[in-house]
Amino acid sequence: METTKAQTMTRQRRKQVVLYLGLVLFGVGSFLESNCGAQEDVTNLESAPVPNEAVLAAQQQRVEAMQRASRSTVAVYGTDGQGGGSGVCVSSDGYVLTNFHVSSPFGHRMRCGLNDGKMYDAVVAGSDPTGDLAVLKMVGRTDFPVAAIGDSDIVRIGQWCFAAGNPFVLATNLQPSISYGLISGVRRYQYPSGTILEYSDCIQTDAAINPGNSGGPLFNIRGELIGINGRCSFEKRGRVNVGVGYAISIKQAMNFFSQLRSGRVVDHATLGFTVTTENNGKVAVSNILESSDAYRRGIRYGDEILRLGDRDVATTNQLKNILGIFPDQWRIPIRYRNDSGVAETYIRLQSLHLASELEEIVQGESPQKQPQRKPPGGKNPIPGDKDKLEAPKPTKPVKKDAVDDLYTEKRGFSNYYFNRFELDRILGLQSTHGDWSSTAESWKIIGEIPGENLNVEMLLSDTNLTLRLGDKTDTVHPIQGWPKWIKQRSSVGALMGMRIWQQWNRVGPRLMGEAVYLGQNPIVGRQKLFDVTRITVSDFDVMVYTSPDTGLIEVIEVFSDKQTDPVELFIEKYESVDGRATPKTIRLAYGLESQFVVSIGQLQKSEVTARPGL
Amino acid sequence: MNIFTNSQLDLVKRLTASGISKPDTWRCSATTNLFVCILQIPLLLHVTGPLHAADSGRDANAAINNETLIATSQEKVVKLYGAGGARGLESYQSGIIIDNSGHILTSWSTVLDVAKVRVVTFDGRRLDATMVGMDPQNELAILKVDDGGLVGFDLSKAVPASPGQRVFAISNLFGIAAGNESCSAQKGVIMALTSLTTRRGKTKSLYQGRVYVLDAMTNNPGASGGALIDLQGRLVGILGKEIRDEQAGIWLNYALPMDVVKSSVDRILSGNTSVQASGLKSVAQPHRISDLGITLIPDVLAKTPPYVDHVRDGSIASRAGLQTNDLILLLNDQRADSRKSLEKMLATINRADSFYVLVQRGQELIRIHVRP
Repeated sequence: METTKAQTMTRQRRKQVVLYLGLVLFGVGSFLESNCGAQEDVTNLESAPVPNEAVLAAQQQRVEAMQRASRSTVAVYGTDGQGGGSGVCVSSDGYVLTNFHVSSPFGHRMRCGLNDGKMYDAVVAGSDPTGDLAVLKMVGRTDFPVAAIGDSDIVRIGQWCFAAGNPFVLATNLQPSISYGLISGVRRYQYPSGTILEYSDCIQTDAAINPGNSGGPLFNIRGELIGINGRCSFEKRGRVNVGVGYAISIKQAMNFFSQLRSGRVVDHATLGFTVTTENNGKVAVSNILESSDAYRRGIRYGDEILRLGDRDVATTNQLKNILGIFPDQWRIPIRYRNDSGVAETYIRLQSLHLASELEEIVQGESPQKQPQRKPPGGKNPIPGDKDKLEAPKPTKPVKKDAVDDLYTEKRGFSNYYFNRFELDRILGLQSTHGDWSSTAESWKIIGEIPGENLNVEMLLSDTNLTLRLGDKTDTVHPIQGWPKWIKQRSSVGALMGMRIWQQWNRVGPRLMGEAVYLGQNPIVGRQKLFDVTRITVSDFDVMVYTSPDTGLIEVIEVFSDKQTDPVELFIEKYESVDGRATPKTIRLAYGLESQFVVSIGQLQKSEVTARPGL
Repeated sequence: MNIFTNSQLDLVKRLTASGISKPDTWRCSATTNLFVCILQIPLLLHVTGPLHAADSGRDANAAINNETLIATSQEKVVKLYGAGGARGLESYQSGIIIDNSGHILTSWSTVLDVAKVRVVTFDGRRLDATMVGMDPQNELAILKVDDGGLVGFDLSKAVPASPGQRVFAISNLFGIAAGNESCSAQKGVIMALTSLTTRRGKTKSLYQGRVYVLDAMTNNPGASGGALIDLQGRLVGILGKEIRDEQAGIWLNYALPMDVVKSSVDRILSGNTSVQASGLKSVAQPHRISDLGITLIPDVLAKTPPYVDHVRDGSIASRAGLQTNDLILLLNDQRADSRKSLEKMLATINRADSFYVLVQRGQELIRIHVRP
């Protein structure tokens, strides 16, 4: 009985789809007809308008931009050729940005069509259920066509744009459909509607965004990628374009791109406080967690928030817009005003969800347990992408192949394979700067605090760690009891940092604890982003920031708990000694306050076979 | 900017003159709709192709022009909030500032059924507006806010537009923008200038005059009262209320041309169809609702609309032709926005005198002469 009902439903849906197709195809057909007809008429008319050269040149530019853009536009299908959405390729090794709500029903494997007419096997890398993003990796080429990344911060209302994708799964020949439109609004904030899905800081366009366009690119008129289409306003008019589509800004997508490449289920952030817009128009802190980094940096109840990230804040929506584009754990600048004036600082963003919450969401979205998603009213993720529409059948039968080698299941990850892959990449980079695995476990570091004439000596071994700072000597266990020192903001933080540095280089992060690559995060005061690996060691966490160019460690953070500022050890200068990049200048900080800088004179170690363990 | 407009319009005229397709009237029947859509869109797409090129062809200049003129116009469009919020009735719509003395033109709708309509300007200011008057025929109303700083469209510079012409629509459709956020901008082409003939029971619209039919999805919830501007930023129309063909389920995207709009503005601002003027004196022996033979729906709201619940057989009202479910809009061209104001206005008319009422019956406006 139920099957019959389901079949009828499917048939009805098919009929609807056929009707859509019919309409659109009819439209195209008559377009061609009237096009020809019009041309005939024009030739018959005296003094027919002569197109301006500049106009034709501009048209040519537009055509070329669309052709260029079409090459990197991806049609996403399930492995059985069913369903369908869109995506865009952003790296030549085949990483594709799409919507989480496009990839999630397919499981970890899917097929991606490019406008070269070929289908490529693809595997999911990371997922962002809150921001509705996912990253896929296509296999089979090393020279995938890549979209030029634009600057979504300079997009303005009134500019022309175009969407490319696979609306109504029309791209049976894998040629994307293009819809042209106007930027209708920028920096739109769209509340979560029934799901955790939140669209912040998004771009609104009247370029037709229909079911199947989800996950596809929005380009500016020069063919530069400015957003990922994903949401529409529907309400009572049925689930087709009504002139209002939303795209996730490419700025947000690229902030999350490295996080998503980590194979994780990534999270968005909270500030650790909430705000309200007061009657006088001030955006003021209405609630703050005392355990938050914001509180430790001095923000209090009632303080007025003036600026966050690189943008001014005048309304609550603006604050939410800015917050939504950043991954958790990022440290971003903030300007606020309290009774004593205006202050600026950096705050470390906290996770928006518990790991278990995210896991539940991802589980719920997986194909085995796919519920009928029915968010109430309002602005919904474009539905219909998952509808079982006819799509090109895969040309080859699915068998165990290269794609299966790119997938490892693990709790809390979309695809653990990519986490290992990224950490291997970092270690590979680093190995070109010398091999420390043959050094013995006992190291002696001799240096001084410049300007204070204070001698510093650090002894690192598997039995204990000792710091001599002038006449003062402190000894700590090589792994236990660290939190209490961290809470006191002790100088031995430098010792801990150097121990982590030693062990990372001698035995490698994977033998120190559970090492997870997080993605790229900023370091306060530096322009670039740095690769971050989190290692969970017994009762504390360590975050290691490495340079994406050299793989060398730039900062080591040691966390005791959420309520306490971590140790921050900056390796400010390296020097090559015996072919090994060796720390020359290190700096210890807690919060944003520097404790001291050590200029290292000598790092003494002997060469033996390394013994694992921290 | 518009180097192609003339030739483009010319082409449309030639094409339409040569009998390709131009519906004389917009009939809201499914077949005609589809016919119009299918024939018009490709035709105009072709015709307007070069203009798109012209826009993008100016590179930064053209882009700046579009951005600037839309930004300037956005400052003259306001977000309105009033009654509604339940049963598919939105409590928000759009409005345009029409002068520099605080007058705001918008669609006459249930959103305005509140004592004070909340106006939010482009820069986030929240102002309270009172109703100056309304024109039920064109479904337009004018509000006023006490704020000297508002700068509006210059209605004397408004221009007529022609089929084939490119336009921008600016409105707060779906209520997307809040506070100081900009209203949404959409692009479109005027498909036809035609009259909105509707068949009773199929399409609900009081307005039955001329409209610009647009090829863009402009007339969404909250969009009515928004501005339609040309590529020089001049006002060419005001977005109308949502109209849907109930059988085909197709929504019409349209705007009222400025000559229609201006006639309403003139009528309202000259004092006709205005809200009940103050200082009217009650007479000793006035008309009373019960004496007329009418029962109105119970007065339970601050502004209960004066709906006729029952008409007594043989009464004055019955003889005049009033019927159950009539909504009394105007009494001697003065607006009766509630049962209370109707009662007050009746109290100023001598029992021996006749008067006119304008009632809305279904989708019709009927003027009734009530003779004692």
